[in-house]
Amino acid sequence: MSKQELIAKNPIRQLNFGVESASGSRMGLVMARAGLGKTAMLVQIALDSLLNGRQVVHVGIGQSLEKTRIWYDDIFKDIVAGCKICNPYAIYDEIMRNRMIMTFKATAFTRSRLEERLNDLVYQNVIRPGCIVVDGYDFTVVAPETLSDLRELAQVMDVQIWFSAISHRGDERTSPEGVPAPCHEVADFFDTVVLLQPDVESAWVDLKIIKDNTGGASDRLQLDPITFMVKEGL
Amino acid sequence: MKDLVKVRNIGISAHIDSGKTTLTERILYFTKRIHTVHEVRGKDGVGATMDSMELERERGITIASAATYCNWNGHSINIIDTPGHVDFTIEVERALRVLDGAVLVLCSVGGVQSQSITVNRQMTRYRVPRIAFINKCDRTGANPQRVIRQLRDKLSLNAVAIQLPIGLEADLRGVVDLVRMKAIYFEGANGDEIRETEIPANLRAAAEEQREIMLDAASMFSDELMEAMLEGSPSEEMICAAIRRGTLSLELTPVMMGSAYKNKGIQTMLDGVTDYLPAPLDVTNYALDLDQSEAEVAVIGDPQGPLLALAFKLEDGRYGQLTYLRTYQGTMKKGDFIVNARTGKKIKVGRLVRMHSDQMEDIDVSGAGDIVALFGVDCATGDTFTDGTLNYSMSSMHVPNPVISLAIKPVDNKAQISMSKALSRFTKEDPTFKTFVDVETNETIISGMGELHLEVYVERMKREYSAVVEVGAPQVAYRETITQRGDFNYTHKKQTGGAGQFGRVAGFVEPLEEGEYEFVDKIVGGSIPREFIGSCDKGFQKAKVKGSLIGAPITRVRCVINDGAAHAVDSSDIAFQQAAIGAFREGYLKAKPVIMEPIMKVAVEGPTEFQGAVMGSINQRRGIVIGTTEEENYTVIEAEVPLSEMFGYSTYLRSMTQGKAEFTMEFAAYRSVPKSVSEQLIAEAKKEKEKK
Repeated sequence: MSKQELIAKNPIRQLNFGVESASGSRMGLVMARAGLGKTAMLVQIALDSLLNGRQVVHVGIGQSLEKTRIWYDDIFKDIVAGCKICNPYAIYDEIMRNRMIMTFKATAFTRSRLEERLNDLVYQNVIRPGCIVVDGYDFTVVAPETLSDLRELAQVMDVQIWFSAISHRGDERTSPEGVPAPCHEVADFFDTVVLLQPDVESAWVDLKIIKDNTGGASDRLQLDPITFMVKEGL
Repeated sequence: MKDLVKVRNIGISAHIDSGKTTLTERILYFTKRIHTVHEVRGKDGVGATMDSMELERERGITIASAATYCNWNGHSINIIDTPGHVDFTIEVERALRVLDGAVLVLCSVGGVQSQSITVNRQMTRYRVPRIAFINKCDRTGANPQRVIRQLRDKLSLNAVAIQLPIGLEADLRGVVDLVRMKAIYFEGANGDEIRETEIPANLRAAAEEQREIMLDAASMFSDELMEAMLEGSPSEEMICAAIRRGTLSLELTPVMMGSAYKNKGIQTMLDGVTDYLPAPLDVTNYALDLDQSEAEVAVIGDPQGPLLALAFKLEDGRYGQLTYLRTYQGTMKKGDFIVNARTGKKIKVGRLVRMHSDQMEDIDVSGAGDIVALFGVDCATGDTFTDGTLNYSMSSMHVPNPVISLAIKPVDNKAQISMSKALSRFTKEDPTFKTFVDVETNETIISGMGELHLEVYVERMKREYSAVVEVGAPQVAYRETITQRGDFNYTHKKQTGGAGQFGRVAGFVEPLEEGEYEFVDKIVGGSIPREFIGSCDKGFQKAKVKGSLIGAPITRVRCVINDGAAHAVDSSDIAFQQAAIGAFREGYLKAKPVIMEPIMKVAVEGPTEFQGAVMGSINQRRGIVIGTTEEENYTVIEAEVPLSEMFGYSTYLRSMTQGKAEFTMEFAAYRSVPKSVSEQLIAEAKKEKEKK
């Protein structure tokens, strides 16, 4: 199997804003309760962008660099394990060159700091990201102005930014579109919101797209509860 | 004979400049092994006792670990001082192999730095229980709580403070013992006078709070303590026992603090060593039974049992070769005969000494758990000694392959002789240091783990052996490999007078995912007679010594033979070896060979303001920035950079960051070089060949 086939067959394509729709900045959000696979989902989105030739910055808040790196290693292995791809090492090498992980302490992460770092990367010709994933951002304390700032940053840098957010079982508040707390009041800032929900019957995790302004994502998608890989719906 | 329960074999490991040599020096002073204190870069020109090599004294770093011995509270403590630079990690690893416990020294300002991460990883590999000592609490910017957080976040240790500092920076006066809830002051000219009082009122609340955290953590290892806490009366012994249990299981790291330089907190740290670190019997060591295909067997530290000892370090001293031994089982007496399990040689124990840096004390007997030194024993590092009744070997040590080499040339005949002596000694002492003579250039090549590693040996040659050598430019150890299958069908035929030679070998070479080389025999029907199959293997192995691109060794290759032909008279071992060499060369060219270079894992630490510039410098060196970790105003940048691009980086980094950033590197993997570099290397190799 070639790299192109791998890209075409990847079910996450339905979600990720592919090359054909890459023009313009976007914001996406993956929500779930703890332990359902938010990081895995973000990493798959990042890998899809990387396979499509876009450079990626992975921002891990309150996470270690090594752990994040292992997520990429494991998920890439799972992706290639399912298909006979020629020379996976060369592809992974290429991916590594185009990916950069930044980890911050929760208190140290601000929009201005992120922008400063991204500018550094561009100025030093290290990386020019087309996609940024932000894992571990605390939405319980976020002010709408911060998200407005980040949206502006996405527009200025012409990138798509994906966030993950934890929802809580006891908190029933939602936005009119059904975006759960703590993001119910900031849902307007996102073009796409995906909710991961356990499917009681199949024990798989349903990938419910509760908001999508991009016109993609028609099929049912699910997450394998063991590998956290996105699959076409059963 | 000593009571094994009262023996501690400990190491002192940490980041360079976190003050571990000064700490060791103070330990020796307070345990009355020495009577005055010297500084590492002392004004008195004496230097610290543990930095025994002249070079170490000059540079203010510890290179070769020296073993020393002291007594504290009726306990015998053997201390191995370990180097802080990553180029010498084999020394650290060797030390860890023979230790039962360790003190992880951290600077209260610098905190957990990249070398501490490497050392911690090594300690985890060898399952060494540890206590942490936060040193330099007298320095401006000291913040022990931040260091404890880093121990938890960066090293994933369950670090719990069992002390609190009384004052910090210039006001550091002592520590609060959270187990006994007492304030301890270190007074007198050298901190010899210990004054114990009630905790000062301004620290009472903080001490109560920290004690709660400590008790919560310790109670996880003792139901008895948990019950006593519910009743509100945990005793000192109960707390100590629980902390000890947690430490021994590697699930708890008690944290102590002080300042070695200002003589504060050393005596309490020694109490910590005896209270919380294991005795030899608390640790299970394993040996390999050579009669049972190297099956692992647990060693019982019985002093009455058969002798089992490991030579973990060799040194060339004033009185000949000195061999450092750790006895795991049995006893060794002066005059006893011991057997080297590797060579089978019987050796008489002549002089048996206990080492105190470069001074020594003669002893008559050494028991299980002891660290001692022998004179005049011919052996190599890692050899196991027994009394002859056991055929055991202590587990082999992990030895990385060298990644860098230098050509050296003695300046005169005298230097030539001394250099040979020095090299023979160094290769015996250090398994990561290798030397050979390049048959083509007739140059002596030394190889090791980094620029500094080799630099130190060149300096030692000059100082200890008066061997002055000219040093060539450092050379990276390149490799060649193949990227696809390449078929071969080669006939070796020679019929020009005398006995003829004939052999045909057919098959293919293909990339091997793991390992260096593999030979597969798929011959059916006897097209190559059985007696010549081994010759083919030999031929392939000879051929892979030098690749055709730049003459570097070929790795990760599988050679498969599936057909061939022989002649009843003209076929021979040599003929098939030649045929295999020709076949390999034929297949190799079809298999798209590439050049590979060593890639180093580099970690640069420094103030965040230099992050952009550092990343730029990595980028310029064909490096890949893996990621950054930002904490307050400090950033660690992790990257993978080809070794060939790292020469002179320390100077560059220093000037770029005004000396505020530092880096460490270790070998990560071999990867193929980019096309442009490959072309350049091939052109250079061609030019070199033409010159010859």
